[in-house]
Amino acid sequence: MRLTIAIVDDEDLARAVVREYLAGMPDVEIVAECANGFEAVKAVSELQPDLLILDVQMPKLDGFEVLELVGRDVAVVFVTAYDQYAIRAFEVHAVDYLLKPFSADRLGAAIDRVRERLGRGEALPVHDLAAAAQPAQGPTHRVLVRDGSRVHVLSVEKIEYVQAQDDYVCIRCEGKEYLKEQTLAELETTLDPAKFVRIHRSFVLNLDRLARVELDERENRVAILSDGRRLPISRAGYARLSALLST
Amino acid sequence: MHPILGRVDRLAAYLGAWLIACVLLAAVFTRLGLGWLEALALLVPLCLVYAFACLSAWYVSRAMPLTTSSVPRVLASSALAAAIASGFWLGLARVWVAALATTTMFAPATVRYGQQLPFVFALGVLLFLLSLAVHYVLIAFETTRQAERRQLELELLTRDAELRALRAQIDPHFLFNSLNSISALTASDAPGARRMCLLLGEFLRNTLDLSTRQRIPLADELALADRFLSIEQVRFGSRLRIERRVDEDASACLVPPLLLQPLVENAITHGIARLLDGGLIRLDISRRNDQLAIVIDNPCDADAAWARPGGMGLENVRSRLAAMFGREARLDTHTRAGQFRVELHLPCDSVGADPRVRPTE
Repeated sequence: MRLTIAIVDDEDLARAVVREYLAGMPDVEIVAECANGFEAVKAVSELQPDLLILDVQMPKLDGFEVLELVGRDVAVVFVTAYDQYAIRAFEVHAVDYLLKPFSADRLGAAIDRVRERLGRGEALPVHDLAAAAQPAQGPTHRVLVRDGSRVHVLSVEKIEYVQAQDDYVCIRCEGKEYLKEQTLAELETTLDPAKFVRIHRSFVLNLDRLARVELDERENRVAILSDGRRLPISRAGYARLSALLST
Repeated sequence: MHPILGRVDRLAAYLGAWLIACVLLAAVFTRLGLGWLEALALLVPLCLVYAFACLSAWYVSRAMPLTTSSVPRVLASSALAAAIASGFWLGLARVWVAALATTTMFAPATVRYGQQLPFVFALGVLLFLLSLAVHYVLIAFETTRQAERRQLELELLTRDAELRALRAQIDPHFLFNSLNSISALTASDAPGARRMCLLLGEFLRNTLDLSTRQRIPLADELALADRFLSIEQVRFGSRLRIERRVDEDASACLVPPLLLQPLVENAITHGIARLLDGGLIRLDISRRNDQLAIVIDNPCDADAAWARPGGMGLENVRSRLAAMFGREARLDTHTRAGQFRVELHLPCDSVGADPRVRPTE
């Protein structure tokens, strides 16, 4: 089976080693070389390689964030000088984890593992990717949304609210809406619980956007946002909201 | 532990010395009217017993250390101890003379023995004082040896601490990444790979060498930072651009070693490496009279406002500056519109003006 590969590393020389090693291996084809995470996401969308050989430390979008965005479409082998990400790498189901500098044999072994996994047709259990891709410490500062081959980086404080839509969440941010394949519960765990509150089964609200709470004609509570938008508040949601506001 | 009793070899030497002294004394006694045999019969047993009695001088020397006791006190207590010891010796001599008087062989010498007893007392005082002096010398000897050992241990510890500090200073990932670059160059650009090896070797050797010194000329520190930047240049290629301006009279200023290098490293790891297109690191060093100002500018990711610029490296430099110059030096940082700036102000002592600095080996 011919394996199509995209190499992702922000350093020319680091890509050159991988390219050189792969040149000596049978049945592999380099379909893209990417100097950053955005190019990697684009390459995955447009070229659909079987494998990403992915650096961890990259500007703007690191290897884990790239994996969060494209992990369900492609197998990933991490390549990095840092050994402290190894555990996290396997949590997000990376096939292998190579430490720079590495040998051609070591890369060959990783490629064999990729073939083995693809041969078994193993479906990647992706639903927990995003959560696992977050660094353990503290809530996230930004949310990444993939839109085809493009990546939107949303700053968390600019998010107004998030709405659940089946297997997706719809994130409203700076007047635009972004769809992300993730459940609301998963996204909620990555957000700062002092800022974001689940006011309804389907809504997580940024407290900074809340103008006031009103009762509608059927005696249900409604959150009025600073731009006048109205969101429903459930009984449990109101309890959480008042708990947060009274502290 | 008694310095003589505690060691067999020393005790043997000590008793040997006493035996020799004993024979010499016997020679003196023969001049005073005793036969050789008579003199030895009197002195050998007395000397052997007194040799052990004189070991008690150790307690005197311990109670009155020369370093902390006043001279009159040492003299008075030495004289008193010597008199007591010698008094004991005199008593012993009397008993021994009485014992010898009962034998037919030495009975005729009893009167001549009796004539020597005042001399025996004076001798006892002298011998005790001599023993005391030996003990003082031994104690001084031990103290010096211990001090030397401590000094050696201290040097080892310091060396250890320096190496640990150095390990903390050099980011191992810098090495791993550099090795990876070399690994890449070996196939495509062998001379480049060799150049990189040489640069890395020089950088490591310089770092080791400089970090053992208290203060170094700024020129040396700049050379180290340049090597570091040349290595990173290979990794980052066109993403890393460098501009530097250094006042000529600034390079003689003495600075703590590894002052610039961590700041330059920060500019790369927290600045250039996090930007898609990299950018320009600007290094500006100026000297106004005896004040040195070092300014490093680098672009940083404006969106990553939460990311701490600096961290360990900055703290390290800050605390070392404070330790060396107190409030005369300061380190400030500013972040504005995607630019990070670190500013150092410190007093400039130049080479020669500072006697504390070791000359370059």
